Amino acid sequence: MVNVADKLKDAKKRINSLDFDAHWYRRAFHSFGASFLIYYLLPDFDWINLLKLWIPPLIVLFVIFLEVFRLSGKISSNYFFGLRMYEKKRVGSYVFFAVAILILLRFFPQQIAIPCILCATLGDPIIGEIRRRYSMNYVYIIGFFICMYFFIITWFKADVFLIILVSVVGGLGALIGEIKKFWWLDDDFMIQMLPALLLLIIWVSIPYLGLSYPGDIIYPSGLTW
Amino acid sequence: MIKMDKNKMKYVKNHYYISRLIRTEILFTPLLIGLPLFVGSFFIYDWYIRGVVGNCTAYKGELILGIIIIIGNIAFDIPFIKSLRVLSKKK
Repeated sequence: MVNVADKLKDAKKRINSLDFDAHWYRRAFHSFGASFLIYYLLPDFDWINLLKLWIPPLIVLFVIFLEVFRLSGKISSNYFFGLRMYEKKRVGSYVFFAVAILILLRFFPQQIAIPCILCATLGDPIIGEIRRRYSMNYVYIIGFFICMYFFIITWFKADVFLIILVSVVGGLGALIGEIKKFWWLDDDFMIQMLPALLLLIIWVSIPYLGLSYPGDIIYPSGLTW
Repeated sequence: MIKMDKNKMKYVKNHYYISRLIRTEILFTPLLIGLPLFVGSFFIYDWYIRGVVGNCTAYKGELILGIIIIIGNIAFDIPFIKSLRVLSKKK
């Protein structure tokens, strides 16, 4: 007969013998953030809209409470896997990451929010890897083109002039947001909010430039649940 | 503005807690890897149903985003899983 308790004990022992590379864990965690784009694809039903209204702020609120407890010493920083040394006495980058995504999803049009979220979730870890392996010159050049690419593919429905303008401004904004480090403000926040604010200025100016607004990139799913 | 020195960029480590932490992260891994793949596939599925079957070009954006999400995540998930396997072999 199989002894379940022994098996569980053995599984626990095995899991404890494993180790994670915190570096790659952070990278995977970043790219995981792209999943939040499903927000725009969810069907347009009352109950789903209610969930869309409440779940994102509740997640962010939970993260903020967790961080408050950590910084006040009620929860040890040692319980937070993949935390950097400079984050020990400062708000963790995951809080900035979550807050910026919430602001973008709630208050910005999806044409601005989607490329900015992609810059943080995929652009940031790619730039980080380039920084680790190559010189800073490569970071500036490749980082700019990667971020620019995210703006081009999400504004493909816009006029050519607007695509060029948005991709250059957005790419530069995201790159500056990523490479300029502040102790009190994380690059995970800056890489999203700086291009978003710059693009918001362009967005407001679109009618004055005699151009038309580009269509949505993601439409709510037509699934009937 | 500050320049981060290498020590500050290091990760917080405490061997007393690390095993408990690792266990939590391992339990979290299926979600970390699975959800983005599911979301990316859902984007592509939606493009297929409404774009290809429905013969409408307005949904191309969903195809592009689906591909980006899947490729972007696989690109980081593979080294992440590899790092786990390599280190476990070492032990």
